[in-house]
Amino acid sequence: MLYTVNKSPLTTTNLETCLAIAPDSEPILLYEDGVYGAMDGGRLSKRIKEALERHPIYALQADLEARGIQRIIEGIQVIDYDGFVGLVEEHNVVPWI
Amino acid sequence: MKKVAILMRKAPYGSVYTAEGFRSVMGIGIFEMDAALAFVEDGVYALAKDQNPEQLDMQPLGEGFPMLPEFGVNGFYVHQPSLEERGLSVDDLVMEVQLIDNAGLAKLLAEYGTVLTF
Repeated sequence: MLYTVNKSPLTTTNLETCLAIAPDSEPILLYEDGVYGAMDGGRLSKRIKEALERHPIYALQADLEARGIQRIIEGIQVIDYDGFVGLVEEHNVVPWI
Repeated sequence: MKKVAILMRKAPYGSVYTAEGFRSVMGIGIFEMDAALAFVEDGVYALAKDQNPEQLDMQPLGEGFPMLPEFGVNGFYVHQPSLEERGLSVDDLVMEVQLIDNAGLAKLLAEYGTVLTF
C-alpha cells in the first residue's frame, strides 16, 4: 500500500502516526503541506531518517518548490506529477490525510 | 492609535489562512492602525525564501510581506523556538525580523491587546 500524507508534520501527528502504522517497505508519499516533513534540520528529521531505513519516501516536487524547501533529507526521492501517477498505478493507496 | 497584533500560525499554501492574514494586515495598515505581525509555529514558513507556487496556480506569498512597510506595517516578529524547531534560521527568511521567545510573544500580544489569528 502507498501511504500518502498531506499535512504539516509539526502541527498534526499525521506523519508520525503513519510512520508508526505503515509496515516495513511500504512506500510513503509526502505532498501538499506534508512535504515539510522532507526538510532537513527540523525536530522530526531524525525520525524521518530512521523511517528511510524501512520505507521508500517520496516528496512531490511542485509542492517542495512552492514552499521554498531547499534542504531535503538525503534519501527522500523527489518526484513530479507523472511519478505520483506512476506510484498510484502501482499501489493501492492509504490516504493518511 | 488602535493597535492590532496579527498572529500567523499556518503554513502558506495548504489553506487560505496565510493569504487572508496578509490581506487583513494590509487593510489594517491602510486604516492607519498600528499593526504587528507575529509568525509562530508553521506560520514561520510563510516567510521562507524562494517560494515558487506557480505550478500550483497560486500566488507567491512570501514576497508580499517585505512590501508591507509601504502600507504602514512595521512590526515583524518571529517566534524563535518555532523557527529552530523547523530547522530554519533568519538567513532563510525573505526579510529582517525581530526574534522573540515565548515570554516575548506573550508580552507583545498583551501590549497590542487585540489579536487576530490566522
